[in-house]
Amino acid sequence: MPIHDQGYRRYGGHKARTGTGWMVIARAGIRTFIGKRAFLGLLMLAWAPFLVRAVQFYAAANFTSIPQASILAPSAETFRQFLEQQQTFVFFVTVYVGAGLIANDRRANALQIYLSKPLTRAEYILGKLAILMTFLALVTWLPAILLLIVQIAFAGNFTFFKANVFLFPAITLFAFIQIALASATMLALSSLSKSSRYVAILYAAVIFFTQAVYGVLYAVTRSTALSWLSFSANLAQVGDVIFRLPLKYDTPWPVSLLVIVGLVAGSALILERRVRGIEVVS
Amino acid sequence: MSQPTRSAATPGMLSSAMRIFDLSLGQMLWSRRSVFLGVLLGGPVAIAIVLRVFDTLHAAGFKVNGAVVGGSSIFGMMIWLLFIRFIVPVLGVFYGTSLIADEVDDKTITYLFTRPIPRSAVLVGKYLAYLACTVLLVLPSVMLMFFLVAPTGGGSIGAAFPSLLADLGMLAVGLAAYGAVFALVGTRLKRPLVVGLVFAFGWEPAVLLFPGYLRRLTIAYYMQALVTHEMPQDSAVSMLLQIFHEVPSLWTSLLCLAGIIAVSLWLAGRAVEQREYVLEQ
Repeated sequence: MPIHDQGYRRYGGHKARTGTGWMVIARAGIRTFIGKRAFLGLLMLAWAPFLVRAVQFYAAANFTSIPQASILAPSAETFRQFLEQQQTFVFFVTVYVGAGLIANDRRANALQIYLSKPLTRAEYILGKLAILMTFLALVTWLPAILLLIVQIAFAGNFTFFKANVFLFPAITLFAFIQIALASATMLALSSLSKSSRYVAILYAAVIFFTQAVYGVLYAVTRSTALSWLSFSANLAQVGDVIFRLPLKYDTPWPVSLLVIVGLVAGSALILERRVRGIEVVS
Repeated sequence: MSQPTRSAATPGMLSSAMRIFDLSLGQMLWSRRSVFLGVLLGGPVAIAIVLRVFDTLHAAGFKVNGAVVGGSSIFGMMIWLLFIRFIVPVLGVFYGTSLIADEVDDKTITYLFTRPIPRSAVLVGKYLAYLACTVLLVLPSVMLMFFLVAPTGGGSIGAAFPSLLADLGMLAVGLAAYGAVFALVGTRLKRPLVVGLVFAFGWEPAVLLFPGYLRRLTIAYYMQALVTHEMPQDSAVSMLLQIFHEVPSLWTSLLCLAGIIAVSLWLAGRAVEQREYVLEQ
């Protein structure tokens, strides 16, 4: 029997473009969560404040003859308040989506499988980050921008928009900071454990415990200078600067911004350390 | 061949629960969770140390609107803001929802359910272990905090001591009530933690702001009656809470909390008895 050449043939198929692997992870993750009815319910609930604000804008635009309706008139602060209200939903969506993103992969030892594919660690993290950021944008940036469009539609003119043209970049920037902070922190915590429940409770502890500690120090000192200790107070401080509103706390806003940047950088460092295909045990 | 004879009768509910209690208490105390618990309970003590050091270095003490704040007032604020609003609910959610869910996740529930003990004894035993573990760790933290903070601002430990005892009792009752409710959530639902967090940090704070009967569907409403300290005004929400502040009588609260604990545990026990836990492969 003749023995043929047993060499390898070169791959004749198409090569996927490098740097697009994260899209596969993101698409699969988004599709998984959209298929969950409980999660869809949470997303719909997160849009309830949008409906309330839309009714408010309708009343402000159409009942101008009633003097009391003037209190319903939108302002830059209205949009700021809207994004602040959405913080609650940001928390729950982050916990629901983000807690298991890396923890479940670590639990199932799937990280090694992911990283044995033509996929870099950065792409893996980006893909996971994209899942969470997409859903958070759905409850923050998208409704806020739609609210701006709804205002123009109900008013039938561009007067408000022209007078507050900074609102579009302000909403985009603040929503991005809000989303980036929540996503980076949650993903870093998710990489620290194999239990998604443990991760969720750690995230809740970070948010509420820092707020409670600041609350105690405020109650004792009656000074808001220590607001940088609180996760949400830092976000509020930076938000007020972006929306050109008077600041709530005595902490200089660059300090709040520095804390936020530090948290994101710290999260990136944790992710760099924890997301590895092989653990070398010394 | 003769049939094997049963050397002893099937153990009863109480003895079975105590066996599970023994087993679970060790697991709870020596786990990674204890690190979380330690950090959580070490935080208030660390704050108390900072306040004490500050008070020692600055003889003028802490002043609010020009008046010196007494140590017992600061202690009261810390009990409200750190323990009642955060630590007690979060411990209830964390431990309560994972009593059964942890065994399901680790695929070890089968080993417990194949023992000749009532299934509900597993839940009761684990609940008692949770209660012992959290109470044994929370109460010393509160006591340390008390001894560090109470003497500041000219306060007296002796005068404030009765309120400490009331606080310790209130926290133990709170841990029992939250733990029982979240144990029920943990046995009934697939994603208990998210539901627990929604209840503790979404539903409870929101509903307490509304006048009417809705607030009676919270644990915090009944807990408020057991607190001897004045509610702090640290935010706009706290001020609103004080406007709508309506508390039931002490005995009504205790009775309702006892009812919540008993009913929740009974329902959770029934759920464990009847539910088929499918382990993911």
